[in-house]
Amino acid sequence: MTTLHILNASPVHASQLNSCLRVLSVEDAVVLCGEAVQALRIGSEAAKQLQACDRAYRLYALEEDVCARAIDLADLPVTLLDYPAFVALCVEYARVNSWT
Amino acid sequence: MIKSVLLISRQAPWAGLGAAEALDIALAAGAFDLPLSILFMDDGVLQLLDKQQPQTLEQKDLSANLQALPLFGIEQLYVAQHCLAQRGLDHRTLAVAAEVLDDSQIQQLIRQYDYVMTL
Amino acid sequence: MAMKFVISVLSASHAPSTRRALRFAQATLAAGHEIVRVFFYQDGVLIASNNIVVAQDQQDIAKQWQTFIAEHKLDAVVCIAAALRRGVLDQAEAQRYQRDAVNLAGVYQLSGLGQLHDGLQQADRFISFGGE
Repeated sequence: MTTLHILNASPVHASQLNSCLRVLSVEDAVVLCGEAVQALRIGSEAAKQLQACDRAYRLYALEEDVCARAIDLADLPVTLLDYPAFVALCVEYARVNSWT
Repeated sequence: MIKSVLLISRQAPWAGLGAAEALDIALAAGAFDLPLSILFMDDGVLQLLDKQQPQTLEQKDLSANLQALPLFGIEQLYVAQHCLAQRGLDHRTLAVAAEVLDDSQIQQLIRQYDYVMTL
Repeated sequence: MAMKFVISVLSASHAPSTRRALRFAQATLAAGHEIVRVFFYQDGVLIASNNIVVAQDQQDIAKQWQTFIAEHKLDAVVCIAAALRRGVLDQAEAQRYQRDAVNLAGVYQLSGLGQLHDGLQQADRFISFGGE
């Protein structure tokens, strides 16, 4: 049974990303929203962390947050979501863990 | 079928209401006999330290609430090993009994619950 | 397949996560799912205040939440303990504690954390919005 993890805090300012990547299970998914989309910036340490995770996971980000912040996307297999897609994702995964 | 909850508590005890309000969720589950376990992670591990002196901050001692948890039927407390280590706390005695888990044990733990709630 | 959601809001009306919670809740109903309960906790209880005044050129998310709850007749519960300590009171509590202002907007009900757990037992999915 897989988990959808939702991150919303800056990867530099907060420990959500570090901790999430440690407790992620294979086949889990991560949704970046709010300031957490900073982790998609090409060349950033956070993007490298996302790339380096040793377990296979699916990566998503809320499109409105990516667009708002002028992000040059790193080379990561990220799928951008609108709200209907976000809801559909929550249905697909057995549990939703919103990191705050 | 009764659904179970894993509460992940990440806030330091004296950094605002977060830690106490997370514990209140656990106590409420216990009062209704619902299955809930707590995993202390990140700054949340600091809630478990012994010899804290909250009275110097004119704060209520949270350890009374922590010690009340088994009385409410909340017996499973877990603490993230890497978070203790990050804070130089591996050697410290915890004020409340909690099982220390490594990353892969935490991955497995999460998969055992119907809901995960992180505060 | 229609699912039952419990949505929890932990941040105040000006927080990005609060607007995100509303847009998510709207999309949940639009997709044909059911919202069993919206539970307001921590700073989320502040959304339930009648006294929020927002500049004309800004989004009034608290107002939008109220409208959304009323329109869909949602069960919107505000945690009483969290509300009291943040100064959001209904008539009964204002009387009990002898406070001048009653500021809980009409679409909300003050109740305990038991309502959160009750909702979880009924639902299929739980999502919370809080922090930033």
